[in-house]
Amino acid sequence: MTNEYIPFLSKIKEIVKHTETEYTFRMTYVGEVRPGQFFEVSIPKYGEAPISVSGIGEDYVDLTIRKVGKVTGEIFELNEGSCFFMRGPYGNGFEKENYQGKELIVVAGGTGVSPVRGVISYFGEHPDEVKKLHTILGFKSPSDILFREDLKIWEQQMELILTVDSADDDSYRTGLVTKYIPELELDNIHETAAIVVGPPVMMKFAVAELLKLGMKEEQIWISQERKMCCGLGKCGHCRMNDTYICLDGPVFCYSEGKKLFD
Amino acid sequence: MDINTKKLKKNAFRVSKVRGLTASRVRVPGGCCNADVMQQVVDIARKYGNGQIHVTTRQGFEIEGIHMEDMDKVNEMLQPIIDNLQINQNEAGTGYSASGTRNVCACIGNRVCPFGNYNTAAFAKRIEKAIFPNDLHFKIALTGCANDCIKARMHDFGIIGMTEPQYAPDRCVSCGACVKGCDKLSVDALKMDNYRIVRNEEKCVGCGVCVTKCPTRAWTRSEKKYYRLTLMGRTGKKNPRLGEDFLIWADEDTIVKVILNTYKFVKKYIDPNAPGGKEHVGYIIDRVGFAEYKRWALDGVVLPQETIVKDNIYWSGIHYR
Amino acid sequence: MGKRVSSDEMQNIFKILQKSYDVYGPKIYQGTGCFSDTDVVRYGLLNSWEEIVWNQKSDYSFKEVLLPISETILYFTENEMKTADGAARQRLIFLKSCDFHALKRLDDMYLKNGAEDYYYRRMRENTVFAVMGCKESGKNCFCVSMGTNRCEEYDMYIFQDENGCYMELKCRELEELLWDYGQNVQEKPIFVENNEVHVEVPEKLSNTIHQDSMWQEYGSRCIGCGRCNFVCPTCTCFTMQDIFYKDNPKAGERRRVWASCQVDGYSDIAGGHSFRQSQGERMRFKVLHKISDHKKRFGYHMCVGCGRCENVCPEYISYIECLQKLKEKEGK
Repeated sequence: MTNEYIPFLSKIKEIVKHTETEYTFRMTYVGEVRPGQFFEVSIPKYGEAPISVSGIGEDYVDLTIRKVGKVTGEIFELNEGSCFFMRGPYGNGFEKENYQGKELIVVAGGTGVSPVRGVISYFGEHPDEVKKLHTILGFKSPSDILFREDLKIWEQQMELILTVDSADDDSYRTGLVTKYIPELELDNIHETAAIVVGPPVMMKFAVAELLKLGMKEEQIWISQERKMCCGLGKCGHCRMNDTYICLDGPVFCYSEGKKLFD
Repeated sequence: MDINTKKLKKNAFRVSKVRGLTASRVRVPGGCCNADVMQQVVDIARKYGNGQIHVTTRQGFEIEGIHMEDMDKVNEMLQPIIDNLQINQNEAGTGYSASGTRNVCACIGNRVCPFGNYNTAAFAKRIEKAIFPNDLHFKIALTGCANDCIKARMHDFGIIGMTEPQYAPDRCVSCGACVKGCDKLSVDALKMDNYRIVRNEEKCVGCGVCVTKCPTRAWTRSEKKYYRLTLMGRTGKKNPRLGEDFLIWADEDTIVKVILNTYKFVKKYIDPNAPGGKEHVGYIIDRVGFAEYKRWALDGVVLPQETIVKDNIYWSGIHYR
Repeated sequence: MGKRVSSDEMQNIFKILQKSYDVYGPKIYQGTGCFSDTDVVRYGLLNSWEEIVWNQKSDYSFKEVLLPISETILYFTENEMKTADGAARQRLIFLKSCDFHALKRLDDMYLKNGAEDYYYRRMRENTVFAVMGCKESGKNCFCVSMGTNRCEEYDMYIFQDENGCYMELKCRELEELLWDYGQNVQEKPIFVENNEVHVEVPEKLSNTIHQDSMWQEYGSRCIGCGRCNFVCPTCTCFTMQDIFYKDNPKAGERRRVWASCQVDGYSDIAGGHSFRQSQGERMRFKVLHKISDHKKRFGYHMCVGCGRCENVCPEYISYIECLQKLKEKEGK
């Protein structure tokens, strides 16, 4: 009988600081993992926090962490070479089969970019697996922008729209991500797939825009952020209707996901 | 008509403003009586009174409009009430044997009220049994919790129910209901630390709010019941004031002994020239000094270890004189 | 077929059981109620056969024996984690049929919903269950409506009446222990067949029931204390807590403690967002779980009809009344 609650120690290979409160920690990890899944990271005495996988390599996973609480506050004190505890990965994550061969639209806002970073990078590096890749990323302000290094690469690889809610200088596109959805030039709406991840309100309106374009609910995938505590379908906090987000989600096809309510 | 008004008053009747008419004062210790008593009061009011009954501030009934010549008959009719309420009496059929020591009042207490920390009426009756009949002017009130609905602090002796909250950490779910309750409804004596509750024992007034708020029985009441005894609150012309804490976390026996000791103290120190032989105990202590009173009050009292005794008491209130 | 045992014999049997098991059952905790001079009936280690409370349902369910309110799951020093030891002895739990049905819900949640829960499994494996036959229905019981009034899969059945006890043993270990006791008789286990309260669970609620205005009314009444969850034998939610020791800050433990979907903070996520902020939404979340959502996932209703939530609510919010309201709205 294995004890799923026992975490393993993982070493910080590298830290990328995006903003003062958002760092990506590259953690040693060998094993199966998909973008959109999450780990419970922990610092003993402070607790656990669910963090979604923002990047995947042969011997590592990237965890982009926002400093918002006790645990993440402690993690931010750590340096490269030190360790913290992890258990997981949990959840279903994004399955690339759902998007292969299609024109893929990724719409993400704020820290919602983390769970889709792996998807964007994968199809950026394997452009032949999708017909075309459109990415719309939104952040509050220029100082909130994550993955700047990736953005430079993605710009070359795909059609990338980066927007901020507001900015002091005019070198940035401004406005909500929803503003740019109608402007997408799509070859064939019936052969598209979309991924939408971000704050609840943003997801709601972004999906509405995509539906307006003529996409079907079955073509859209969303990721639900809820309180994850055990990650094992036991603690109940993440439940919506008959669904345990940590087991059955967080990624849902919108036709299913829309039926869930809090 | 030849009436000894002193005897009349001692017999719990009143000299009213209407010549020849009196009123009978029925004491109900703890303010708790059954319907039979009520019916008997009604019967007296109908037969010998004018049909009016005043519900007194001291939780008695004052049967109005009785002719002074009917007092003996009224006393006979009072007997079943006196028996029912188990009031001590010198001679059956003669009504109340004293009136100086007033009816012992109480809020409804834990018979009904969710906040009450003990059976106030039962304790009131115990005190009544211990002190009545007595002509000395004592006012005693008991209240179930620190809300003090009976206004015990305006009495010579105020008895405020307390419980020492017992915390079982392994039943605590850190919901914070007790912390919030203590903050909003009481004295903010609870804090959450390390997901567990820490009680500031010095601040805690033993009101029991945490116990009523706790959804898992992590907080329960102490097996022992505790009381805060406040002293010498009063109304009146000269210096109305609230009673001050004397004993905190005291037990029932101690309180009964302190009250009885106070009777001895008053007998010793009461001004022999006081008008009508009536001097309030509070003024006697003001005159004699608290230190001397305390010596008398605690004479022969074995206090529970946890009882806090105030070294000194400084009353305030309004001084009109 | 089972055995008849006299009251005297039952005391001996109890002593024998105590040798092999920690015996738990509903008992009176005097003076520990919310209000002064009130008692609580809840589960605890039994010291004698007489301690068991038969004539009323326990205020809190048996679940705290299997799922402690606060359970240390890991001990840690700075870079090491260690699984907390489990209970050393086997347990025998006396419980009524409704609670025995609740056990199935706990099993499904902790053993089948995702990976097996190590701590529950460990506890469950070492526990046997003795179902106490109810002589009569309790206050606000509606087990018959929920189909939980009868059960069969118990390890032991026991019914107490004026003549002593009727006992059935279904597990080998107990059979061997109690072989020599009692008279074989042809009796049948007795279960309650009627309740005063009947509940018709709405099976065809509309998809928009969560938007119904009925929930708002609860929002103004519910105080979010969580008692309904804590007394419920089928509520299983918990929260993890890490603590460090005051005298040795380098060491500490990770615990899990009961959680309530009615209490503030239940759905808060890091960064400040929280779902279901009103008590009305929380009431809806709970009630629909009990009689709709759970069935969609597991194929049967979560609620066992024990009526404890009905009895405990300090604001007199009636779960039974709520189900009736839902029934009236069914199909509309």
